[in-house]
Amino acid sequence: MTFSPMTETSLLAAVCCSVLPLVAFAVVMIGTRNRRRLSAGISIGAVGVSLLCSVFLLVRHWHADEPLRFVGTWLISGEITVPIGVLLDPTSLLMLVVVAGICFLVQVYSLGYMAGDPGFTRYYAFMSLFAWAMISLTLSPTLLQLYVFWELVGLSSYLLIGFWYEKFSASEAGKKAFVMTRLGDVAFLLGLLVVLVEFGNLDILELNSLAPLQRMDPAVITLSALLIFGGIVGKSAQFPLLTWLPDAMEGPTPVSALLHSATMVAAGVFLFARIFPFFRLSSTAMTVFLLIGTVSMLLSSTMAMVARDIKQVWAYSTVSQLGFMIMGLAAGSFFSGVFHLTTHAGFKALLFLCSGVFIHAFGTNDMFEIGRRGGRGLHIPMVCMVIAAAALSGIPPLSGFFSKEAILGALAELDNPVWLAAGLLGAFLTAYYTFRLLFIVLFPRRQEPEGDGDGKDGGHGAHDPHAHRQEYRAMAGPLLVLAAVTLVLGFAHGPLERFLHFEGAAAGGHGPHWLLYAALGLASAGVALAYLEFGLPGAAQVGFVERMPALKKLFAERWYLDRMYRWLLDRIVYGMVSRACSFNDRKVIDGGLDGLSRGTIASGRRLSSLHGEMIQYRILVVFAVVALLVLHFFLQ
Amino acid sequence: MSIVPYSHVMTLATLLFVMGVVCLVARRNLIMMLLGLEILLNAASIAFVGASLRWQHMDGQALALFIMAVAAAEVSVGLALIVAVFRRTGSVDPEVLEPEPSTRQR
Repeated sequence: MTFSPMTETSLLAAVCCSVLPLVAFAVVMIGTRNRRRLSAGISIGAVGVSLLCSVFLLVRHWHADEPLRFVGTWLISGEITVPIGVLLDPTSLLMLVVVAGICFLVQVYSLGYMAGDPGFTRYYAFMSLFAWAMISLTLSPTLLQLYVFWELVGLSSYLLIGFWYEKFSASEAGKKAFVMTRLGDVAFLLGLLVVLVEFGNLDILELNSLAPLQRMDPAVITLSALLIFGGIVGKSAQFPLLTWLPDAMEGPTPVSALLHSATMVAAGVFLFARIFPFFRLSSTAMTVFLLIGTVSMLLSSTMAMVARDIKQVWAYSTVSQLGFMIMGLAAGSFFSGVFHLTTHAGFKALLFLCSGVFIHAFGTNDMFEIGRRGGRGLHIPMVCMVIAAAALSGIPPLSGFFSKEAILGALAELDNPVWLAAGLLGAFLTAYYTFRLLFIVLFPRRQEPEGDGDGKDGGHGAHDPHAHRQEYRAMAGPLLVLAAVTLVLGFAHGPLERFLHFEGAAAGGHGPHWLLYAALGLASAGVALAYLEFGLPGAAQVGFVERMPALKKLFAERWYLDRMYRWLLDRIVYGMVSRACSFNDRKVIDGGLDGLSRGTIASGRRLSSLHGEMIQYRILVVFAVVALLVLHFFLQ
Repeated sequence: MSIVPYSHVMTLATLLFVMGVVCLVARRNLIMMLLGLEILLNAASIAFVGASLRWQHMDGQALALFIMAVAAAEVSVGLALIVAVFRRTGSVDPEVLEPEPSTRQR
């Protein structure tokens, strides 16, 4: 293949961007496992170069109209050729920068957070693997390649969630994340097969053109879109597969930051954006997506209202924000979803990293405990967390405000007002639970409202003050960068919209004027309610939900989703399927083999008595055999 | 062609052979077992000679001569062994040659 020098440089940069973290992973895993500083340096260096490459690509292709696509052949089997390559278009470029940027910042932050951990080098190796998988996922030109890296992302997040594998709950959480996302991935794979059979290839650009309409039946398009969406549901933790994400915080906090912002869960929404024009061909599927997004957003918001664990609140809010993105995309506004994905990556990473500082400093995940131990004394993370939380609640002029407005605008353009109402309710709930947490940490009370605080030991105790300060500095740097991004990213609304615009895309939603005030009003109402209940001096710090035991129980139990899965698992999978399988295993397969060998041994025993006696019996046997042979040969 | 039909010769050989087998297997005496062996060999000789007569072929008679020589050698060696066994154990029962039941592999 020959390219002009312009595209050749781009290709080189893209390949560098994606492959370097893999190289770092290999080097750290094979070569430098015992050298902590060197390993971290290699890993951070590789991601840093990736970040530079991605920024370079973004700047270079800022005005490019045509998506760039480089494809080579990976393997040929009969009539099928499997291509491998790179696709550079606005969606992937923007996501590339987000992913590389967050990976880089999180790795720098981890220098402080993970200092002194016995698995330090392993951690950095996995981080590099994660970065490689996600960066390559964003660059994939075909759905098959995307699927490969999709699974690799799942694998590396499994490794990182279960990073502290000595802890039972951590390894369980890793397993749960892996299995639940795999459930969705099965649907995804089936969807890919449907597309492959009906459409003939999995090229993203071709799928995004109008070609599927001519070659595929509308019903088949809907079917494949729904199946592929199954993968998104698993990956982005949407209803009904949302319970893995809150458990995934068993991993180190920087991992959660990465997982919740730019990589794992973002992959789902990214896939939606990636083949958005294809999904849009089926309005039925889009309505289903809208419904699922709405349900997950509202469900997880309610769960966040009663959680005590600081990371769990952010995890629920991730689910709800992802649901929000999917609502925006499914409402037909490509830009609003991607924009919210971008801004959310920034402020959600910031939220997790800030919480990580608290957890590291106080060794507890419980928000009341953090408040009592003086969480407000750590100024940088506290200020950053307020900024990020305000962005999450959609308070101007932070980035979250703009992207939420875009999504609400898109929802307002739908015929059915229910969606808009749900979106506004979600905005209110988000503001409420976010500020509930903030006020609890900021205005601690002496005595507990209830005595069931389960302080989980996520951090690792205190070190000597000097080392502690150094770690604190390593952690504070990324916080400040992300806070700055959160502050200014909202103003990139216009340019980004022009950048992401493609032919046939609906204009970014700008709803009616009253919508702006309604959203703002509801967000401030949420904040005010939270202040009344948690912030006001003398307030009981008991939310209105917590005053209703039944509701509280329902929310705290995650709407009994986990119970339901447990029940399904125990009754259906363990009770029926695996029991039948194990019965088959024990009785039929094992029994058959055992019976065969037992029969052989027994008949051997019986026959051995023929020649075990004195010589005359043996001679008799010899004659008998000879006589039988004679009979056999002469009388046949 | 000949006075004695081939089938009669073969019947005689078979009868002798069966008698030899019975003698070899049923008698609890090494000397009698040796005799049984001799009868077996003679049965074979008769069969050979009869067959050579039937097909007018000299090989059968040559083999009969060989068998006589082998039988003579076998008897001399066999009897010597039996004498040795008798001297060692004081019995000509074949069971004395078996290993002890306890050491026998089941």
